[in-house]
Amino acid sequence: MADLLVWIEGTSLATWTRESPSIWAYPTILTLHTVGLGIVVGMSTVVDLRLLGYGRRIPLDAIVGLFRMIAWAFALNAVTGVLLFMSDATTKGRQPVLYIKLSLIALALWNTVIARRIVGEQDGESSRNRLVAVTSLVLWAAAITAGRLMAYV
Amino acid sequence: MDTLVAWLQGTALSQAIVLKVWVWPAAETIHFIGLALVLGIVGFLDLRLIGAFSRVPIAAIRDLVPFAMVGFLLNLTTGMIFLIGHPEQYAHNLAWWLKVGCLALAGVNAAVFEWSVGPRVAALGPGDPTPMAARCIGVVSLCSWLAVLYWGRMLPFVGNAF
Repeated sequence: MADLLVWIEGTSLATWTRESPSIWAYPTILTLHTVGLGIVVGMSTVVDLRLLGYGRRIPLDAIVGLFRMIAWAFALNAVTGVLLFMSDATTKGRQPVLYIKLSLIALALWNTVIARRIVGEQDGESSRNRLVAVTSLVLWAAAITAGRLMAYV
Repeated sequence: MDTLVAWLQGTALSQAIVLKVWVWPAAETIHFIGLALVLGIVGFLDLRLIGAFSRVPIAAIRDLVPFAMVGFLLNLTTGMIFLIGHPEQYAHNLAWWLKVGCLALAGVNAAVFEWSVGPRVAALGPGDPTPMAARCIGVVSLCSWLAVLYWGRMLPFVGNAF
């Protein structure tokens, strides 16, 4: 495991991400990761609020497109996240909080798939739908918290 | 400016922010959650103004705007915590001033929306196209909020913060 992390951090891609003085390297990758976060969590929040009964006049079948935006933004964050990890693999690979973050994201994505089905079926309000919405809000907030704490613990 | 920075650094509040190790990470976490609330809800409204999600009535999206306001207030508060804690990081930082400038632009743009086409646009039903003025306001809003995020993220790279 340690050898693998050292190898990852030594690849030319990881070195470029970490050491290039170009504004297009680390700063831009980090910014794109933040934009992706804003879209994934922000648009999920729009869906969650709707499922909780806010903005009731928003027709569910008209916001299926939000999930496409969430998927693209998530793909952006998967790519930029891998690059950020590679650039500092020996440190990040040993941080328990990274694995907590990844687990929270996995759970949040699973929950998003359920939310997508609810919205697609235009299945109105129910206590189960509210539970899915609250779970989404809690999991994404926790994932952001874990991600932010990676800079500190 | 430097007098103001020195005075801020000397306040008890500034000392407390710097000395309590959990304050900064906690404020950053809240700042990111607030960012998502603003970008998600305002971004959705902007996209509708621009012409996407046309079957969603604009008035219905405006029901969600109070949540964006909550996100903005969270970020204003945590942003003040950063500024009071380490004013020297921001006062001479070009990225920070550009961020504040873009925030002002976003604010003025939102005010223009409310005072001009806002009420008219809110009356539009599902499927109604938005007037050109509303589309322009949507584009300006989306660009200015993304620029706020961009310059915020650039604070350590363009300027001297952190």
